[in-house]
Amino acid sequence: MNTLTTIEELGFAPALQQDVLEDTTSDHALLEATRTGDQDAFAELVSRYRNQITSYIYRMTNDYDGAVDLAQETFVRVYRAADRYQRSYAFSTYIYRIATNLAISELRKRKRRKLVSLTGFFQPSDGAEPQELNPPDGRPLQDLELVDTERRNAVQRAIGTLPEKYRAPLILRDVDGRSYDEIARILETSEGTVKSRISRARGFLREKMRAYL
Amino acid sequence: MRTKNCEVIRQEIDELMLGETYSASVTEHLRECAACREFHEKQTRLRQIVGSLGTVSAPADFDFRLRARLANESNNVVSFYWPTARRGLAVAAMLVVFATGAMLVRSVWNRPTASNSVATSEQTTAPEPPKQIESHPANEAPKEVVAGITVRRVGTTKNERAASVTPKRPLATQDFSSERAQVINGQAPVDAFEAFRLDTSLQSFKVQLDDGRGNARTISVPTVSFGSQRMLQTANQYAPKRVW
Repeated sequence: MNTLTTIEELGFAPALQQDVLEDTTSDHALLEATRTGDQDAFAELVSRYRNQITSYIYRMTNDYDGAVDLAQETFVRVYRAADRYQRSYAFSTYIYRIATNLAISELRKRKRRKLVSLTGFFQPSDGAEPQELNPPDGRPLQDLELVDTERRNAVQRAIGTLPEKYRAPLILRDVDGRSYDEIARILETSEGTVKSRISRARGFLREKMRAYL
Repeated sequence: MRTKNCEVIRQEIDELMLGETYSASVTEHLRECAACREFHEKQTRLRQIVGSLGTVSAPADFDFRLRARLANESNNVVSFYWPTARRGLAVAAMLVVFATGAMLVRSVWNRPTASNSVATSEQTTAPEPPKQIESHPANEAPKEVVAGITVRRVGTTKNERAASVTPKRPLATQDFSSERAQVINGQAPVDAFEAFRLDTSLQSFKVQLDDGRGNARTISVPTVSFGSQRMLQTANQYAPKRVW
């Protein structure tokens, strides 16, 4: 009986090597390595998701410094809970769920403190729909880039006024471009609920952004 | 007029991603229904604006701050247990201090204080033969002679008063021997006294003190030697009689 001495002697050697290569660079593999104390693996995970998570939390909270802080807290929790991580679903789903919970928790804290953003909308005391402080100027503008910037600021402020249960699915879908299935897993709800909330959120935004559409 | 068909069409428009191809029924409906066409245009415009928000980058020092935060977290885990350990150490330190204080108080309580006994030097005499100190009458202060120094105690301690009533054993003993130093008067032959040993005694001087409660203490003074001196071989103008 011949003894195989090298992996190349097997017919599927190239495919196997490719699988191994992909496996060692997957999120799961990196988290597995983090669990064993590999700091470089965790650094790679951070580099993959830091911008996405920071941006997502920023869109949720409309506060950049707070978003950076919460993004860091997200990674701290991932690091601390590396031993308890289960590979039942994608790592991106897992980390986005942590970020969502932190962002919603922050929004609720703000609500309790009754913090009002000076750059946001003023809420009328009679319960009417909030009106934008600076309505768009109808005159033609010279700088289209300025118009785009103003439009983006307006939509960011409008998103900030959405109820949190509508805000998260809208951002995940329309800003991050995630599938309904993944959003449902992140928010731990059904796909139908996600679709319904996104539709409602867009309806709210259409009303608030009427002047820009 | 908005119909049930419009609801279905708008739902399909809502669920599809931007740029995805609509079904034939949606395309057909949009061609016919102006309201749905307006809805589609506004919805597309809105989603374009929302999608243009894009990704906000994390700050450049994100990794550094995160690393520092993780290091701080691990320190906090240690410091979480530190208060308990610190409390234990504090209790142990208190016990040590209390025990030391108790021992000091006990030793001070059992020891005659300096104000109760004052030693005075009255005279200095030549060494005398060993003498046993006997018990003294209760109305007379004890008088001890130690190596030519008379020590008189002024006042008595609590222990001594108790001992004076029922003396069980001597409070102090002397146990020493001494020999007079060899007297050299300069009349012996010169060759026989080239060098002289000047020891005050051949044995060490020992004093044992007993407080009457079985606490004895022995003080031992080693033999004192002054070395030796050599006589001058010939007289000179400073020492005409061959002194040393």
